[in-house]
Amino acid sequence: MIPIVHDFLVLGINHNTAPVLIREKVTFPGNQDGAVTRLVAQAEDILECIIVSTCNRAEIIVVTNDPDLSAENLIELVSKIHELDVESIRPYFYIKKGKEAVRHVFRVTSSLDSMVLGEPQIVGQVKEAFKRDAAANATGPLLNRLMHRAFFTAKRVRTETGVALAAVSIAYVAVELAKKILGELEQRQALLIGAGEMAELTARHLASNVKRPIKIINRTLENACVLAAEFDGSAESMEQLYDALADADVVISSTGSCDPIIRFREMKTVMHRRRHKPIFMIDIAIPRDIEPEVNDLDGVYLYNIDDLRAVVEENIGERRAEAEKADKIVDQEVGKFINWTKSLEWAPTIVALKERFEEIRANEISKMNGKFGSLDETEREAIDILTKAIINKIAHGPISFMKQSIKTTRRDQHVDFVQRVFGLDTFVSETESEEVKTSDYETDYRN
Amino acid sequence: MHLIFFKVAAIFYLISSVIYVTFLLRSKGTRCLSGFWFVIGGFLAHTISIVHLFIAQGFLPMATAFDALSLFAWLVVAIFTVLQFRDPNPVLGAMAAPIAAVLMLTASTFSYQITQPIVPVLRSWWLPIHVSFALAGNAVFTIMAMAGAMYIFQERLIKRKKIGRFHRILPSLETLDTLNRRALPIGFFFLTLGIISGALWASSAWGSYWNWDPKETWSLITWFAYAAMVHQRLALGWRGKKAAMLALVGFVLVMFTFVGVSLLFSGHHSFVGGSMRTPLI
Repeated sequence: MIPIVHDFLVLGINHNTAPVLIREKVTFPGNQDGAVTRLVAQAEDILECIIVSTCNRAEIIVVTNDPDLSAENLIELVSKIHELDVESIRPYFYIKKGKEAVRHVFRVTSSLDSMVLGEPQIVGQVKEAFKRDAAANATGPLLNRLMHRAFFTAKRVRTETGVALAAVSIAYVAVELAKKILGELEQRQALLIGAGEMAELTARHLASNVKRPIKIINRTLENACVLAAEFDGSAESMEQLYDALADADVVISSTGSCDPIIRFREMKTVMHRRRHKPIFMIDIAIPRDIEPEVNDLDGVYLYNIDDLRAVVEENIGERRAEAEKADKIVDQEVGKFINWTKSLEWAPTIVALKERFEEIRANEISKMNGKFGSLDETEREAIDILTKAIINKIAHGPISFMKQSIKTTRRDQHVDFVQRVFGLDTFVSETESEEVKTSDYETDYRN
Repeated sequence: MHLIFFKVAAIFYLISSVIYVTFLLRSKGTRCLSGFWFVIGGFLAHTISIVHLFIAQGFLPMATAFDALSLFAWLVVAIFTVLQFRDPNPVLGAMAAPIAAVLMLTASTFSYQITQPIVPVLRSWWLPIHVSFALAGNAVFTIMAMAGAMYIFQERLIKRKKIGRFHRILPSLETLDTLNRRALPIGFFFLTLGIISGALWASSAWGSYWNWDPKETWSLITWFAYAAMVHQRLALGWRGKKAAMLALVGFVLVMFTFVGVSLLFSGHHSFVGGSMRTPLI
């Protein structure tokens, strides 16, 4: 028996191994239609290939006949594509082979290797890359299976752990909180007081959830008008502050004022005017724009920048704890996948095929037993011999098909094919159903 | 036969209670499907049991304490199920399932059989009408109280800036307040009809609309409480935490009228020597 000739290999750089300076150079330009992937897939010894490139990572995932040789070839190829010196980029690359490569792909897809742990975009990005490269005919049975298992693993990690649950940026936390207080934000009124990077970022995030134009108040009306134009909102003067507050549902305040501009006493009147309709107030300014006592009013939910930061910190900590659970899921799935690759050998497949046929034969004979009552021993024997001859003749075709494939480099493809046609692969049904389901990945993620 | 289904339903509610509560305490997910499926399973068995009893007896099973508790549980689960299909939430499940389970277990301590000849008063079409309205009102107010409890809890978490797992799985304040706003008039409507139908029944049975028996008196007190609540909401614009608190206070009154009065006082609603061994309605 010829030893296993194919193996997985991952060559890549990410935010841990390479600085931005290098990362932004290795981006595989011109790969929108998978042309670069096809080029790599045509390299010697390489059978299948996928290239994933995002702003934090570049990964070349291949199936190869000779992992060591291919790793070297790939680095050279990457340097040639990007017109970089091989030696200057070599130290930033990591090389993973076999089981480690499988685990790496699963972890990346499940967002366990991301800079922001659990961030949801990576699945979509990997899926896009896979679709593109599959359409470019650069992938084959092994990578197809690997990627479907990777998406399956990502889905398990997402549904069974809390890795992707917690929001980890201040703007995002602010919007999540607003939703917890006010429900759907579409018809809510947002109010931005003052300006500043953080406030504008939060307002922008909010604006993507709110349909009504944002109101903007500034000490100088001109500045408010400039911002209003940018946000498609409306500008109002500082004198209208309390009218605006009576009308707003989410308030972001960030002025350079030394004294609080929203005081308890005034806010109390405002709350009375709005009949205690809930209001979510975010105070980003330092020193504070809103008196902290305002939070004690019924229906007022006041968060300052430190409160929001604390929520973010808590969420990050929670994600880390969940990541351990996620890694266990990845381990399980890697084990299952490796078992499958091992089953892709022709000798066990022939045994399984013969067993399957014999099983069918024995079943049918026993079903007919009642009708054989009138037959004598020799006649029964004749039926046995006849049916055995039939299944042997049928089995001959697929067996010689697999045996011929030994001479080719793609015998796993032949074996896989036979396994699927005769339903020998218990793994298939699960994977196939996943194939259909992967389409709801993008829609599922809210980000 | 119907008793088997009743027991299955009770066991399913119990199992789902355990699942829901363990889910809240241990799991990190946001949905508890297994708990919900057990509720659905219990609900189906429960429905079969009630229908079966109806067919076997030939009249709507509403004459005994067993029937009242069972129907009450059934209504609570029915409303819960409708809400779950709209917005699945494990916290509501962790309240509704145990309540249903407790009601079922209490019901099982009473006999469902009508041993003595049924009092003529109960052989009236007013019985199903009166009982259905009264129990429907109770069920709506129960769910409203659960939403109120969730509101107060969620509000506290947000005010104190304690953002943990519970905060994430609880519905938004707006959702809970909307539930309160919509449920209040519906529950009030049922309660009113329950009292009116009771008065009409009393008039046809005893010749007078109102006899000031303890159940009637406490129903009236409950009615005034909810009438005040409707007024506060509509006219004074009370909402949020105050409305949630009132929902809890109202629920205590409802429960007292439903259970407490029957245990503490006697009156028209306790048909001693009649069909009701421990009447609750």
